[in-house]
Amino acid sequence: MSVSVAEERSVEAGHSLSVGTRNLSGRHRSANRWAWLFLSPFLAVYVIFLLYPIGQGVFMGFFSWDLLAIDRREFVGWDNYVRMFWGENMTWDPGHLLAWRICGLSILLPVVVAWQRRRISGVTTTWLSLALVGIFGVAMGFHPAEGSRWLDSQFWLAFGNTIAFVLMSTPLIVGVGLGLALALNRAGRWVGLLRTLFFAPYVLSVAVLTLIWAFLLNPQLGLIGALTTWLGQEPISWLTSTSLAMPAIVVTTLWWTVGFNVVLFLAGLQDIDQSLYDAAATDGAGSLSRFWNITMPGLARTTLLVLVLQVIASFQIFGQVFIMTRGGPNGATRVSIQHIYEAGFRDFELGYASAMSVFLFLVMIAISALQFRFQRKAES
Amino acid sequence: MTISLQPTRGSRRGHQITPRRLRRGLFLGVMTVAAMVWIVPLVWMFSLALSSNTALQTTTTSLVPVAFTLENFVAVLQGGLTPRWLLNSVIVTGVTTLLTLLLSAMAGYAFARIPFTGKRIVYPLVLAGLMVPREAMIVPLFLMFAEADLHNTYQALILPRIAAPLGVFIMTQFMAAIPLETEEAARVDGANHWTIFWRIFLPMSVPALTALGIFTYILTWNDFLWPLVSATEREMFTITTGLASLQGNFAQATELGSLMARGVVASLPLLILFLIFQRQLVRGISIGSGNK
Repeated sequence: MSVSVAEERSVEAGHSLSVGTRNLSGRHRSANRWAWLFLSPFLAVYVIFLLYPIGQGVFMGFFSWDLLAIDRREFVGWDNYVRMFWGENMTWDPGHLLAWRICGLSILLPVVVAWQRRRISGVTTTWLSLALVGIFGVAMGFHPAEGSRWLDSQFWLAFGNTIAFVLMSTPLIVGVGLGLALALNRAGRWVGLLRTLFFAPYVLSVAVLTLIWAFLLNPQLGLIGALTTWLGQEPISWLTSTSLAMPAIVVTTLWWTVGFNVVLFLAGLQDIDQSLYDAAATDGAGSLSRFWNITMPGLARTTLLVLVLQVIASFQIFGQVFIMTRGGPNGATRVSIQHIYEAGFRDFELGYASAMSVFLFLVMIAISALQFRFQRKAES
Repeated sequence: MTISLQPTRGSRRGHQITPRRLRRGLFLGVMTVAAMVWIVPLVWMFSLALSSNTALQTTTTSLVPVAFTLENFVAVLQGGLTPRWLLNSVIVTGVTTLLTLLLSAMAGYAFARIPFTGKRIVYPLVLAGLMVPREAMIVPLFLMFAEADLHNTYQALILPRIAAPLGVFIMTQFMAAIPLETEEAARVDGANHWTIFWRIFLPMSVPALTALGIFTYILTWNDFLWPLVSATEREMFTITTGLASLQGNFAQATELGSLMARGVVASLPLLILFLIFQRQLVRGISIGSGNK
C-alpha cells in the first residue's frame, strides 16, 4: 500500500512542477485520486470484514449449512426463521403474557411520545408506536397451544434471559453510574484517585473478571461466603441457584463496567453551564432544587446516551455467563449470544445460527439507531 | 493502607474545623470506604496470587498474602502455555492498534481535508458501520476465514478488528478541527497530500491518536468471542481465551494461587497502561461514544 502511495506522490509532484496553473477540473480529479488513495486501505477492510459479512449472514440464514460440510448447503427458505419463532399448534390469545405486554407498552409508549415532544430524537413517532403496538399488542399474544412446544424453546429461553439481564442491569448500572458521577464531580487529587479506583475494573478482561468473581461468589472459598458466615448466615451458593445466578451475574457486570458510565456522566456534568448554579445560589435555591432544576435537565442528553449504550452492551452479554455458569443452572443464565455460539460452533448449524444472528442484529440495530443520532448530532 | 490516612492529615493541616470542612471530610471518608470496598476483589486476586498454594488449602479469604511467595508467578511464566498466550495477545493487540491508528488517520484525513466526489455517500456509509453489533456477525466471519483456511492465524485475529468505523469517526472529527492555515502554508511550499498528512497532520493528531490507541488496545486485549471462535488451537489462544479455558471446572481450586497469578499476568499490562494513560482513555471514551 505504502508503495503505491509513494508512486502516486512522485507523479503528483511532477505534475505540479510542469503545469503551473491547473484548471479546476484537473485539481478536482487529483483531489479525488488522493482521497481514494487515503481511503482505500480502510474501505477495503471495512467492506470485506464488516459490510460483506452482513449480507453473507442474511444469505446464510436461508440455508441449511453444515459447518462440517461447508460446500453442501441446501436452500430452505424461511425454515430457519419458522424454527426460531414458531411452535406446534400456535394459537393467539389476548391474555397471553398480559402483565408483561401491558408493562412494556405503558413504559415504552410514553417514552416515545416524550421523545417526539422534546425533539431529542427525530425518529418518527408513528412508526415507533406502530412497532411497539405490533410487538406487545399482537406478536406477544402468539404461543403454542396447551401441551405443545416451541420448535426451539431454547431460543425463547435465551432471548427471555437476555431481556431479563437487560432489564436488571440497565437501571442498576446507569443509576449507580449517575450516583457515583455526582459524588465524584468535584476537583481535587483525592477525588481523582477515587475515580481511578472505581474505574479500574473496566480495563480487566472478561476472563479475569470471571476468575475473580466466580471464586468471590464461591460459598466455600470466597469473600462473600465468609461475610455471610460472619453475619451468622449460611453461605449462599449464588451461581448454582436458578433464581440467584442471574442477579449475581448482574452485580458482577456492575462492578466491571460502571466506570464507563461514570466517565460519560462526569463529562456530561462538566458541560453544564456553571453560571446557572451561581445564579441559582444567588436566588437562594437549595441544593435539592438546584439538582432537579439544573443538574437533571442538563444531564438529559447524556442520560439518554448512557441508557442506549448500556442497553446495547447488555444485549451482547456473553462472556460472563459463558465462563461462570455455562448458561446454567438449568438454563437460568443461558443468553442469546451463547445460543447462537452453540448452534453454530457446537451443533455446527451455521444457517440456523446466522438466522438467529440476523434477528439479534435487527433488535440491536433498532436500539443503535438512537445512538447513531447522537453521533450525528455530535458531529454537526 | 497508608492511603486512607491522607484525608485525616489534610483536615489536621487546617487550624479550625468548620462545618463545611467537616462535611467535606465526612463525604471523602464515606467515598474512600466505598472505593476500598470496590477495589477489594482486585486486591484479593493479587493477595491469592502471592500466596503459596498449600497455604490456600486452609484459608482463601485473606486480603494480605498468606505465606508470601512469588513461586506462582515464576511457575506461570516459566512453564505451560501462559507465556505463549501472553505473546499472542501482545502481537495481536499491538498490530491491531497500529493498523487501526494508521488506517483511521488516513481515512480521517481524506474525509476531513480533501474535497472529493462521493464523500457525501461514503462518509455516512462508514458512520452507519458504528451501529453494527460485532457479536452478531460472528458466523459469517467464521465462514469467511474457514473458506480462506486462515483460522488459528494472527491475520484472522487481527483483520476483522481493524475495520473500525469508530476510529475513522474520531480521526475525522479531530482533523476537521485543525485550522486551515497550518495546511495552507505547506501547500504554498508545494507539498502534496501525503507529505501534509505525514509531516503535519499526523504529528498534530497525537492527542486523538493516543486516546484512540489506548481505547483500541484495551478493547482488543479483552476481546473474547472472536478469538474463542477463530483460534481453537491451544497455542493460538490469546491470554483472554486462554485464561477462560482454565476456568469452568472447580477442580483446580487446589491451585488457586497459580490460577490467580495468571489473572494478574493477564491484567497487569492493562492496569499499568491504564494508570499511565488514564486521562487519554477517559477522553477516548467520551469522544468515541459521541458524548463530546
